[in-house]
Order: sequence, then structure tokens, then C-alpha cells
Amino acid sequence: MSPEARGGAGAASFRRVTSLGRALLRGALAVAALAASGRPARSQQLLVPMDDAQANHLKAYGVTFSALTDNIRSEWLLNYRGGAFLLPDLPSLRRAAQLAGVTFEAVDGARVAAIKAEIAAGNMDAVPLEKAPRIAVYTPPDAPPWDDAVTLALTYAGIDYQKIWDDDVLDTDLSQFDWIHLHHEDFTGQQNKLYLGFRDAPWFVQARDRDLATARKHNLADIPALKKAVADRLRAFVERGGFLFAMCGATETLELAVAAKGVDIAGPFSDGTPMDPDADAKLAWDRTFAMQGAHLEFAAGVNAMSDIDGHQVNVPSRRQQLGTFTLFGFSAKFDPVATMLVQDHRTVIGDYYGVTTSFARKVLKPTVTVLAQEDGAPWVKYIHGSYGQGSWTYLGGHDPEDPQHNIGAPPTDLALHPNSPGYRLILNNVLFPAAKKKPLKT
Amino acid sequence: MSATRLASATALVALLGLGSAPLPAQQDPGAAQVARALDAESAGRNREAIQAWRAAMQAGAVLQGVLGLERVFSVLAQEESLLVVLDTIVPRHPREWQLRAAQLRVLMTIGLEARAQRAYAAWRDLDPADVTPYREYARVLLFNSRAAQADTVLREAAANLGSTRALALELAQMRAGLGAWREAAEAWREVMDAEPFFEQAVVFSLGPAPAAARDGIRAALTRAPAALGAQFALALLELGWNAPRNGWNALAPLAPSDTVVALWRLFADEAERARAWPVTRDALAAIHAARPDAGVALRGAKAALQADDASTALRLARAAAPLLEPARRPGEVLPLELEALARLGRAREAEEVLGAARAAIGAEGARPFARTIAWAWIRAGDVGRARRALDGAPLDAEDAVTGWLALFDGELETARGALRHAETPGQDVVSALAVLNRTPLERSPELGAAFLALAKGDSTDAAKRFEATAVAMPDAASLLVTLAARIETARRAEARALTLWTRVATEFRASTEAPEAQLEWARALRRRGDAKGAREHLETLIIDYPGSALVPQARRELDALRTAG
Repeated sequence: MSPEARGGAGAASFRRVTSLGRALLRGALAVAALAASGRPARSQQLLVPMDDAQANHLKAYGVTFSALTDNIRSEWLLNYRGGAFLLPDLPSLRRAAQLAGVTFEAVDGARVAAIKAEIAAGNMDAVPLEKAPRIAVYTPPDAPPWDDAVTLALTYAGIDYQKIWDDDVLDTDLSQFDWIHLHHEDFTGQQNKLYLGFRDAPWFVQARDRDLATARKHNLADIPALKKAVADRLRAFVERGGFLFAMCGATETLELAVAAKGVDIAGPFSDGTPMDPDADAKLAWDRTFAMQGAHLEFAAGVNAMSDIDGHQVNVPSRRQQLGTFTLFGFSAKFDPVATMLVQDHRTVIGDYYGVTTSFARKVLKPTVTVLAQEDGAPWVKYIHGSYGQGSWTYLGGHDPEDPQHNIGAPPTDLALHPNSPGYRLILNNVLFPAAKKKPLKT
Repeated sequence: MSATRLASATALVALLGLGSAPLPAQQDPGAAQVARALDAESAGRNREAIQAWRAAMQAGAVLQGVLGLERVFSVLAQEESLLVVLDTIVPRHPREWQLRAAQLRVLMTIGLEARAQRAYAAWRDLDPADVTPYREYARVLLFNSRAAQADTVLREAAANLGSTRALALELAQMRAGLGAWREAAEAWREVMDAEPFFEQAVVFSLGPAPAAARDGIRAALTRAPAALGAQFALALLELGWNAPRNGWNALAPLAPSDTVVALWRLFADEAERARAWPVTRDALAAIHAARPDAGVALRGAKAALQADDASTALRLARAAAPLLEPARRPGEVLPLELEALARLGRAREAEEVLGAARAAIGAEGARPFARTIAWAWIRAGDVGRARRALDGAPLDAEDAVTGWLALFDGELETARGALRHAETPGQDVVSALAVLNRTPLERSPELGAAFLALAKGDSTDAAKRFEATAVAMPDAASLLVTLAARIETARRAEARALTLWTRVATEFRASTEAPEAQLEWARALRRRGDAKGAREHLETLIIDYPGSALVPQARRELDALRTAG
């Protein structure tokens, strides 16, 4: 009688035994095949250098992120070879790196030990990366990826993210995300004062109508009220332990919107009422992340929100020329977060404009950590700090590889900039929440 | 630096001159000083020119002097020196627009924008209903890339004047500067309704529009009733956007008139410069049909040959003949006619045409065409007649035609030596040499027959023969199957091409053609909607052939698949 003809529990038991037997046999054959192949044993680790030896810095972040997504732990070697990554030598990771064109070096145990010894002896550190952060990008539902340097970088690196917009921020539990990114949204609700040049442009009209409809849906009077409510939810997200990264105009306007709780800081073109003439004095800077004592721009015809931005690109009489900015060096062992945020293969990077390009020193709170500045200039480029149980990072400018970005300009093709030091700063922010022990967000 | 500044200043002055009122006549005051200043300026003796212009101003040539000093100081990057002069003169002549405009230019150039704003406001307040201050200041702002500020000025003009009709040009430039492309196109359309000769300005202004904005520009410039100028501007824009067919499509439907034919000629010149041969052919053919002209027809025939359209080339060349004096025909029509007939494989007719011309050109004159006749016979598939055509006009042993004839005969050794010296090796020569260098065989009639089928334009037969020859030529088998696959891909015979690419990728995994096969396999699957399959083959290419030059392309296509998916 064949085993298959037998019935009941005995048959099931037999099938389990034979299936176990087959598995053992397959394992034995695999071991034998490996032994017979004569190939050298696989090294223990893959070192992904992030100095000039790396062929594609941006995709290297994607490969590391994919490892974390698959629950494969890795290490970030801060200040070692441009902020290298150390990954387990797994076929899946080798394949992912090869497909992405990411340079890696197979290192055995002895080499890893030597690297770790070198790290221990200098201003370096090895930070374990444990878990892929859950990422959300605050962006309009119909925005193309090239409208935003972060979505551009995430898409190119192959890092998954979820898009959120006003309804999501107001209606859902943001603690489901570890990291939220904001780009050039105007949280004062004045649509970046683009009415000066674009008030009849179809995309401008469409965005205004869309935001107005959302405001009404949430029983809010106008767009400034809507954006302020969104800004306050984002503030609370950080307060409860979230990581927030903002670029371009989102940085400045988030600060203003949070500070202006109950104060009318929007021009009449956006809400039908003039700004509160005493608005400057009424701003509550104790609520904000980074700024204090900034002054609002009251002139409706001047395309600026305040004196926070050092470059004022859209105000011809105030516009400052672009220079370069320098990344600070931090103690990897004592200040790992700031160190992570500035990992790069270049320390001096060409500047680039944005609605907000930089942050005036005079309005920074003393608790702010400056990560990059233009030497000798009264502004800084890249800042970080803690707020409640969470933290925030601001990077000025719109697109690191499109310094003079204009509305309607063609999108940046990151395949042409795989080693962009500016874009690395964005991806440092994506990865650093993986390195930190998760705080409670409730 | 100084050359750039001079060019900028000259361009700005030229721009500002457009549509402006003429200068008040000056009764040649200081004519001698002006002449001396101009001489010194054109000779580059700037210091002397400055003195001379100052002297001219003293003698009463105030406007000429100011504009001359502006040019010279601009070359020397010392525009601020003019400011002192202007500060003295402008209050004396507050309504002199050219002095006011020069003042605005200088203030903006040296970065005194707040002063420029005040100078403009003072000028405007003299007569808020006068368009000139708004126009001049807007132009200066636009020239200095201050589109948003120009917008404010133009809106102020609209409020004070009741309309911006007199400022349509500035409005168009301002909108383009702000990236409001559709609106800019609308404004340009309005400008060209009144002044249709602004097409180059339109191209300069709207040319940088991104691809996503171009449909809006097209709609604005072609909306009925569209002025000729707007349609012509769009045609030139399309050429610049690398869409020459769209450009011709904008002009082709126009009923031919003297003006339209003149525009067609300008377009054909631009298309020819852009080497957009099919469109050049069509434009020249249309011009010739409307206004028969031998020169145009011959240019059209040449463009048609460049576009690989021998039929049209033959028609146009023959159409040119009766319009030319008989003595010019052998030199201008005959080469084109024979080349077209050869490409069409009409060898017998080519021989007859050459025979008829022999009386006029003589035996010596006919000899250079023997090669063309030989090609005609090759195209017709008769290698024997091709050889006979070369009787009396022996070719060099290293002539490409010798090489091809040897290859068609299957004489690989001779072909190898001759084709190596082809003057301008095209893809066909490269493919032939690749096969010849891959095999040690000295003779293969089968391979010759395959290349002959290709030369005759019988791609179906050629593909089959290349594939069949692979069996007898194992060293070149992967390449031969690849050649067959490329032909089938070009014919869009998708199923057959996929079979062949699959064969190269699987049977010849170690060959140099295997990465190309993987890439083409992936592309074929993508066209079928099988993204997963396409991804697998792109990944195989990257992983298994890391040294292939196709790896970066595979990575790009993999990224594109992932983004699309």
C-alpha cells in the first residue's frame, strides 16, 4: 500500500516525516553542492563605501533602506569613508546593490574587526540601524514626483513612502508614521504670495479652489485657517515623538503658522481681511521649533513672508547671491544624531535657491543646532533640534541640483546626479530615524 | 567680460529702440565731435571716446553724447560714471524719454534698484497717462530678469492707462519670464496681430518653455483666426523643440500666396539647417508646386535623398530639368536622378538615362556614374550586371563597392580587405565587418546571399538567410542571429524578433550579443505589457553582464519600469 493510500492521522504524520526528510535531503545536497563548487566561502559583511569610491551614493541609501525593510539589521559607520554602511553579506543584498549600481566591498571578519578598531580610535562611530522608518510626504495628491526634491530622491533611491495631504493630517492618526516630510507648502495659507505673478494661471486657481473646498469641509473659514490647523497637527506630531523634515518654503511658513495661533497674518488677497497690524507683537514664539523674534512682511506686493529667509530670492531689491555652504563636523560618539545628518563625501556644497533658501541667524533660537552655514554670512542653511519627544530638521532651498529653480522648469533627472552631495543630506534624514530608539508617541 | 557687456548694452539699446518715438531732430550740433567720438569708439580707444562724447555734449549733442557714453562706460564696466552726468542732465530735460530710459538702465545695471524705482516713479508722476515710463521701466526690469517687478509695473500701467494694449510686447516677455507660458503666448499673439514680424522674439521668449507647457502655447498660437505671424512663430518654435513635423504641419495647410510661400522658404531654410530632412523635403516640394523653381526642386530632391525617399527625389529632380537650360542639366539633375534610380533598384532605367546623357557628357563624363549604375544593379539583385557596369571603370581593390560585390559573391577574404577601407562606414559596413572578422572562413555564398538580400531591401529574406547561415558559421552564429533579430525588430515583426532575441539570450549566453538580446527581450515584453518579465530580463542583464556597456541603460529602464509600476 502506498503511503498516499493510507488514511487518517497516520498518513498526515507520514507526510510530515517524508516532507521533513525531503527538506533535510535538500539541505544536505545544497551543502554538498556548495562544498563541491570550490567557491570561496561568502564574506561576513558587505561594506558600502560612501566616499568617492561609491558609484551611486543616492541608491546606496535605497539598498540600506531595503535591508531594513526586510528586517535585516545593518550599521551606519559615521565619519568612516563618507558615512559607509555595513550590511550582512546576503545574496539578496548583493543583488540589490548590483542592480542599483551601488559599489560594495566584501569584508571578512578580520577586516570588520580592523574597521571597528579604527572607528573606536577616532571621531567615528558605528550606529546600528534597526527598523525601516514609516515615511509620509505631505504633498498634494496630484503632484508629480519632480515637484519636490524629497519625493524625487526617495523615488530614485527606491524608498517607499506614503503621500499625505490636508485631509490625512487632520483626520488620521499621524503616529502611524515615523517621519514626515514637508516641502514648499505655504502654511500661512497665502500660496507663497504667488498671486503676484500667477493669479490667473490655471494651476494656481485649481490649487486655491481645492484648498478652499478642503477648508469648508473641515468647517474652517478660509485657506489660512486650514493651513494653520494642519501646521498645528504637525507640531503636535513632533511633540509626541515624530521626526519632521522640511525644506524650502515649508520651513519658514510652518514656523510662522505655528507662532500665529489666533493671529491674522494672511494678506487680504487670501482671506479677505487685512493682516493684524500688531501681528508681529502677538506671535507666540514659545510654540515654534526653531525661530523667535522674526518680523512679518506686511506689504502684499512684496513676495516674502518674513525676515527669516536670508536670501529673499523673490524680492529683487533684497535678493542675495548664492554662495556655498559648509557642513559642520560633530562628535560621532557624543552627538550621533547631528553627525548622521551631515554624513557626506563633500563638506562644501554649492548653494541653491528656494522660496526659503536659508535661515537668518538673528532669528534662531539658542537651542538650535546649526548643521551647515555659509561662512561669514548672516544666515545658515541646515538646522536641527528637538521639540517635545520628537525632533525636526530644516534644510533651506528647493532642489540641490537646480540652483536657480523656476516654476515650470524641467524636472531634475537624478540619474545624472547619482553622487549629489546635496541630495545626500535629504537621504540622511530619511535614514536617521532608523538608528534611534523609538520614543513613545502617545 | 567687456565684450559681453557691450553686447548686452547694444542689445538692450536695440530692444528699447523698437516701437519708440523718433528722437527729436538735432540740427547736427557738435557733428564734428560726434564723428570723432564714433571713430574713437569703433577703434576701441575708449578713453578718447569718452572725452569726445563729453565734448559732443558740450557742443549740444546731448542725447547722442549720453548714449555714446553709456556704450563706452558699459565696455569699461564703469556705468556709475554716467550717473553723475545723468543726475545733472535729467532735471534739465525731465520729459526727455531717452535720458530717463538711460538713467533707469544705468541704475539697474549697477544694482541701485531702489533709486531706479524712485526715478521711474518721478517720471511716471509727470504724466501718469503717458505709456512711455511704464514701457521703458518694464523693459529694463525684464532685461534684468525682474519679471515679477515688471508685472507690478504693467499692472500699474493697466490701472492708470485703462489698458495694456500699448504694452503687449512687454506683457508677453514678462509672462514668459514668470513661466506663465500660455498667457505669454496669448500676449505674443496679440503683439503679432499688430506687428507680424516678431517671430524671432517669440521664439526667443517661448523657446525655453518646458514640454508640459507647449500644448498650451500651441493652442494659443493656432486658435482661429490665427495670424500668419503667429503660425510661423509656432512653426519655428516646433523646430526648436525638435518637433519639425509639427512645425510644418502648422504651415502646410495655408493657401499659397506670395507671403505664405515666403514663409515656407524661411521655414525650409531653418529645417535644412536643422537637418530635418523629411520636413525640408516637404516644404521645398510645396514651394516648388506653388512657385515652380529649378533651384528649389533640386534642393528638395537632395533633401529627399537625405530622407531616404528616392521616389520623391526622382520626381523633384525630373521636375527641375525642364526649368533649367539644357547645358546645366547633366551637372545638376543627372547625379540626383541616377542616385534616386539606383536606390530604387531601377537599374535598366538608370542605364538608359545615363546613355541618353552620354552625348552631352561624353565617355569621360559618364565614367564616374559607373559606380552608381553598379549600385543600381546590386539593388536590383543582379550582381553580374553590376560587374558589367563597372567594365571600363575599374574600381580600386579597396573600394567599398569592390568589397560589397565580393561579399555578395561570398568571397569573404576579398570583402574583408576592401570593406575595411570604406570612407564613411555606415551601419551596413560595420555589420558586415563584424561578421567577417568573427569567422575564419574565406568563402561563404550563403552569407553573401544574406547581405545581398539586405542590399536589395528584401529584409524578410535577409533575416531568414542570416539565421540559416548561423548553422554553417558557428564562430559568428550569435551575431548572425542578432542581425536577423535586429532586422525583425526594425520590421516590427514582434513575435519573430522575440523568438530570435530569446535564442541569442539562451543559446549564446556567453556571446557579446547576449546583453543586447536581454535588453531587447525586456523591451519586447514591456511593449506587451509584461512589466514583471521585462524587469527580470533587465535584472539578468545587470547581474550577469556587469561589464556590458548596456548596463547603465538597463538601470534606467529598470527605474522607469519601477516608477511606472
